[in-house]
Amino acid sequence: MSENAVEVSHLTKVFRTGMGKNYVVAVDNLSFNVKAGEVYGLIGPNGSGKSTTMKVVLGLMAASKGSVKVFGLDSGDLRARNEIGFLPENPYFYKHLSGAETLKFYGKLCGLRGSELKDRIAELLKMVDLEDAAKRRLGGYSKGMLQRIGLAQSLIQNPRLVILDEPTAGVDPVGSRQIRDLILKLKEDGYTVFLCSHLLEQVQEVCDRVGIIFRGRMRREGRLDELIQIESQTAMTLENASPELLAKINELVKADGSAEVIEQGHPRTTLERLFIQIASRNQKEENS
Amino acid sequence: MSEESTTLQAPGRKVPYFSPVRVWTITMSTVTQLVRMKTFYFLLAFALLLLAVGNVTFASSPAQALSTLKKVSFGAIDLFAWLFAIVATALLIPRDIEDRTLYTILSKPVRRIEYLLGKLGGVLVVIAISLGVMFVVCSIMILWQQIGFIAGEQSPGRPKEEVEAAVALIQKNGFRLELAVAAYASFLKAAVVASVTILLSTFASSSLFTIIISILVFLVGHAHTMATNFWLAETDNSVAVQLVLKLFKIVIPNFQLFSFSEGIVQGAAFAPLVIWQITGVTLGYLIVFLFLSLLTFVDKEF
Repeated sequence: MSENAVEVSHLTKVFRTGMGKNYVVAVDNLSFNVKAGEVYGLIGPNGSGKSTTMKVVLGLMAASKGSVKVFGLDSGDLRARNEIGFLPENPYFYKHLSGAETLKFYGKLCGLRGSELKDRIAELLKMVDLEDAAKRRLGGYSKGMLQRIGLAQSLIQNPRLVILDEPTAGVDPVGSRQIRDLILKLKEDGYTVFLCSHLLEQVQEVCDRVGIIFRGRMRREGRLDELIQIESQTAMTLENASPELLAKINELVKADGSAEVIEQGHPRTTLERLFIQIASRNQKEENS
Repeated sequence: MSEESTTLQAPGRKVPYFSPVRVWTITMSTVTQLVRMKTFYFLLAFALLLLAVGNVTFASSPAQALSTLKKVSFGAIDLFAWLFAIVATALLIPRDIEDRTLYTILSKPVRRIEYLLGKLGGVLVVIAISLGVMFVVCSIMILWQQIGFIAGEQSPGRPKEEVEAAVALIQKNGFRLELAVAAYASFLKAAVVASVTILLSTFASSSLFTIIISILVFLVGHAHTMATNFWLAETDNSVAVQLVLKLFKIVIPNFQLFSFSEGIVQGAAFAPLVIWQITGVTLGYLIVFLFLSLLTFVDKEF
């Protein structure tokens, strides 16, 4: 049985609004696990509770109910944070620091010193392809470069879990692809990646499992390839098939000697379609 | 206390409960931030102010000119110290929250008290360096003026006793090593102001609000004795009034305690014990305000 990197159990987060008894339930009895070594994507529309869940995992917020554990440690435990690297959405690091100084600052906070820190900084700058910009102040970095130095910062203490909040938000397609490739590399290197995004195409490209959250509740969760298959339909991939064969597909394929069934199974929709379908269904339920 | 309870062991690296190194890292980062925000430019303005006061004076005598120079320069040092403490402290934490830099710091193994101490430490280091530089510049200016005035008194044919009396008067109003204590008192006052501002910035919604309230607390803190005496005289000495006054005395620091530095600038004598007493009082205020800051900051959700 593989170890759980993150265990979210019946998490509820309530925010009070104003001075009265009004409150908003941002996360409602949410449960899911992120297994060690996998890339897990939590997807949902804006305001669905993704970022709140992430903040509780990071220990930046306390749960109103339920529990969150990181490698078996309570998320509020300082040791848990040593296991986590975090890249926030639109990260603004200290603009007065250079790329290398930023990594040095975060490295020191994590207890790294001397040659260990120096080597780690060099390694990470190389990994995110910012060696040439290492001495430039972050004020002069592009959005994509900021995301990459942010990713490097999140990995400085070599954590086992990397949490990415909208890692490609506002990044151009080229920068976005670089980030995607880096996430795939992290997976290759054995890191656990937990990401929140609403860029579904990217989630589909990198995630092993996804959870779809809507209004603070988990609507669907599972392996990506299982989630996106359509149970009620069957697809056949034919080679050299004529329109006649398509009309009487099973009989003709069996009877026709020149046609050959290459693949028969469940056709897949895209994660994007599945997400929109679930979101609109839930929206209708909420409205009715 | 067992080893296990003092040091947390995460896989690969120890995570101490409290790390002075982490505090120092945040302190030095804050110093770099303030320096690169070009906060030291005000030193130039200070130097120009001293040059102006030193060369354009309406004083009737050398002693009066030196006294004016001291009052203006040490007044400027004091003003800089507390104003800088308020503005710098009020800007640092809200900016970290707004820019989400705080997320990345607190998502590392950093305790919130370490963050607060680091930020406060950074402001105090910058103030200490600035006060040191201003004190040296100010001392050079006073000594330069003093030497010039003494030389001016040495006119030939003037009675020796008269010259000695004039020189003694100039020296009395000129540079004294005790002036360093006045600069130190300004630093201590700034430290207390910064700790009050840290407390306000942990729950205030904007930097402007924090700055305004901090200045208000600072001004009220200068009328500490006057205010408490007034209330005690105007109202009955019931338990409720006493409690309110005690709370007032704790919440609003008594900045009048630091005003002994004005006497030093004017040439008055002081007991060395006062330095220790005022240092102790300052530490007490820092502990109280940092503790209160932590109470509001420790459970703050970002």
